[in-house]
Amino acid sequence: MNESVLVLSIASAVVASIPILYAALGEIITNRSGVMNLGVEGMMLVGAVVGFWAGNETGSLTAALIAGGLAGVGLALVHALLAVTLRVDQTVSGLSLVIVGGGFSSFVGTSGEPGLLSAPNEVEVNPLLPQFMQDLPAVGPILFGHDIVVYAGIIAVFAATWILNRTATGLSLRAVGEDPAAADAAGISVIRTRYAATAIGGFGAGIGGAYLTVAIVGTWQNGLTAGIGWIAVALVILAGWRPWLALVGALAFGGLNGLGFTLQLAQVDVPSDFLKMMPFIAAYLVVILVSANPGRARRLAAPAALAQPYAREAR
Amino acid sequence: MTSAIQVTPRGYAGPGVRFGVPFLALVFALVVGAVILRIAGNDPAEAYRTMFDSSLNGWTSITRTLALATPLILTGLAAAVAFQMRVYNIGGEGQLYIGAIAGSWVGLLLPESMSAVVMLSAMIAVGAVAGAAWALLAAIPKAFFNADEIITTLMLNFVALSLMNYLIFGSLSFWRDPKRTVPGGKRLPDSAIMPSLSGRLHIGIIIAVVAAMLLWWLLRRTSWGFQVRTIGDSPRAARYSGMSVRLKTLTVLGMSGALAAIAGVSEVSGVTKGLEPRALATDIGFTGIIIAVVARNNPLGVVPVSVFLAAIATSGSRLQSIGIEVEVVYLLQGLIFLTVTAGEFFVSNRVGLRAERRAEADGGIPPSAELARGVS
Repeated sequence: MNESVLVLSIASAVVASIPILYAALGEIITNRSGVMNLGVEGMMLVGAVVGFWAGNETGSLTAALIAGGLAGVGLALVHALLAVTLRVDQTVSGLSLVIVGGGFSSFVGTSGEPGLLSAPNEVEVNPLLPQFMQDLPAVGPILFGHDIVVYAGIIAVFAATWILNRTATGLSLRAVGEDPAAADAAGISVIRTRYAATAIGGFGAGIGGAYLTVAIVGTWQNGLTAGIGWIAVALVILAGWRPWLALVGALAFGGLNGLGFTLQLAQVDVPSDFLKMMPFIAAYLVVILVSANPGRARRLAAPAALAQPYAREAR
Repeated sequence: MTSAIQVTPRGYAGPGVRFGVPFLALVFALVVGAVILRIAGNDPAEAYRTMFDSSLNGWTSITRTLALATPLILTGLAAAVAFQMRVYNIGGEGQLYIGAIAGSWVGLLLPESMSAVVMLSAMIAVGAVAGAAWALLAAIPKAFFNADEIITTLMLNFVALSLMNYLIFGSLSFWRDPKRTVPGGKRLPDSAIMPSLSGRLHIGIIIAVVAAMLLWWLLRRTSWGFQVRTIGDSPRAARYSGMSVRLKTLTVLGMSGALAAIAGVSEVSGVTKGLEPRALATDIGFTGIIIAVVARNNPLGVVPVSVFLAAIATSGSRLQSIGIEVEVVYLLQGLIFLTVTAGEFFVSNRVGLRAERRAEADGGIPPSAELARGVS
C-alpha cells in the first residue's frame, strides 16, 4: 500500500472519530451520575440539524457547534424530566428521545423555504496549526492537520478524567451515580446533579452531531447519523465508563468507518455493504466479549446506581 | 418539601387509570403537535382534518390504513412480548428484514404450481425460524453472559439492513431480478402472494390479529405467561421460586424475533411482492416499539394502537397536497411516544395537591387494592 494512502486514511479516521468521541464523553458523564440515556442517536440528530441550520445562517463554526450543543441539551432535559423527576423507565425514555429526535430533525430539515435538505454548507473549517507543521511527513496530516474541534476533543478527554477523579464536583457526581441515598444524606442534591450531568451528555451529543454535518458530511439528510449515536452508547460500555478508553475506542471506530475508503484506494475489492456492517459487527462482538469476561467486567464496572431512579421518599 | 404537589405511589392502578392515562397522553401529543404545526406556519385543524379524511373516512382509506397496520401489529407484538419480561428487543427492524429475506427465498425457491396454502405456510414458517435465529444472536449472549441486549439487537439491525441491501443493490443474488435495469427483487409467483381481502388489504391482517389473541392468551392465561410476567416484575423472586430465567430469555427473544420476521414475510408477500429493500426499510420495526409502550405491552391493546399509528402514517402523503411535509408524521409519532412514556408516572403515582395528604396517611393503600394486586 502506498504510504500516503495510509497517512490519509489514518488522518480521516481521526476526524471520523470526533463525533463519536464527543457523544461518548457526554454519555460517560451522564452515566456516571446514574442516569442511562439511550437517546444519544436522537440528540445527535437534533444537534446535527440545528447546527447545520445555525452554520448556514451565520457561516460560523462556533455558532454551529454551540447551537447544535444547545439543541442536544434541550432534548436531554426532556430525558431528565422523564427519567429523574417522573422516574419512568430510563430505557423507554431514552428510546423515546431517539424517535422524537429523528422525527423533529427530519421535520425541521424540510420546513421552511428552501429547506435544509438542498442547502449548501456555509461553514468553513480550517486547520488550527501553522502550515509548516501540517507539511511534516506523515505526522503532519495525522497529528497536526486538524481543526480546533479535534484538539478540543482530546483536551476534553483529559479534562473529563481530571474532573471525574480529582475534583470535588467529580466526587459528588460519582457519589450520586454509585449511591444516591448516601450522596443525598451528605447534602448533595441528587436531582440537580443528575439534571446537570444529563444536560452535559446532551451538549456532547449535540456538538458531535453538529460537527458531523458542518465539518464532515457538509449536507443535511434525514437520519444522517446512521447509527453513530448507538455506536457511542456501546462505546461507553466498552470503555468501562472511562474517558481515555473512550478516546481509544472512538479512534478504532473512526478507523473502521474510513476502512472502505482505504481499501478502495488500496484496490482491495470488498463490497461496500459489508464495509458498512463492520463497525456494527465490531460493537456487537466487543459488547459480548466484555460481558463474557467477568474479571474484566468487574474491574470496569458500571456505576452502581445506573438507570435506577432515585426517590427520596422510597429510601 | 416546599412544593404544594403531593405524589404518592399507587398500590394498584384501576382500568380507568391504565387506559385513561395513555389516552389522555395521546390527546396531549396531538395538542402539542398542533402548536408546533402552528409555529411552522400551518393550519393544524386543516392538517388533522386531512389526516382523518385520508386514513379513516371511507372504505378505501380504511383498507389502506389497515394494510399498514398489519406489519405494525406484528412488530408491536414482537416488542410487547419482550418488554413484558423487561428484555428490550430493539432489533425488530433487523428481524423484519431477515424475515423478508427468508420468506421471499422460500417463495422464489418452491415450484410456482404449489398450492398457495402450502406455499404461504412454508414462507411464514421459514421466515419465523430465520427471525428467531437472528434474535438468538442477541438472546444467547444475553442469557449466558448478560450481554446488553439493547446494544446487540440494535447493532444487528444495521447488519441486517446492509445484508438486505447487498442482496439487491450490491450483487446479482438469487433474490435480484437480472432483467430489471434499476436493481430490484424478483417478483414472487402468484401462489406466494397473500390474497387480497379488499384493495391493498390482504390476509396478513387476519394472521396479525390471530397472533395478538394467541399472545394475549399465552401471556395472561398460561403458566408460561405467568412466569414471563413474574420475571419482568421481579427477576430475583422468579429465580428463587425456581423459574429458569435463562430459558425464558431465549424463548421470549426467539418468539419476539419470529413475530417481527412474520411482519417481514407479510410485507414481502402481501405488499412489495418481491425483496425491495427501500420499500421494506420504513421503520416498521421501530414503530413497533412505540406501539408496545403505548399499549402498555398488552397484546390486545397493540391492535388498536397499531391502527391509530397506521392512520397517522398513511395520511402523511396526503398532507403534501395542503403544503405540509410528510415528516410531520414522524414528529407526531415521537411526541406520542414521549407523552405516553411521561404518562407512566401518573399511572404508577397518584398526584394531588398537598391538602389531600391527611386522607392518604389515614387510609394508605386500600385493602381491596392490596388484594387485587396479589391476585393479578
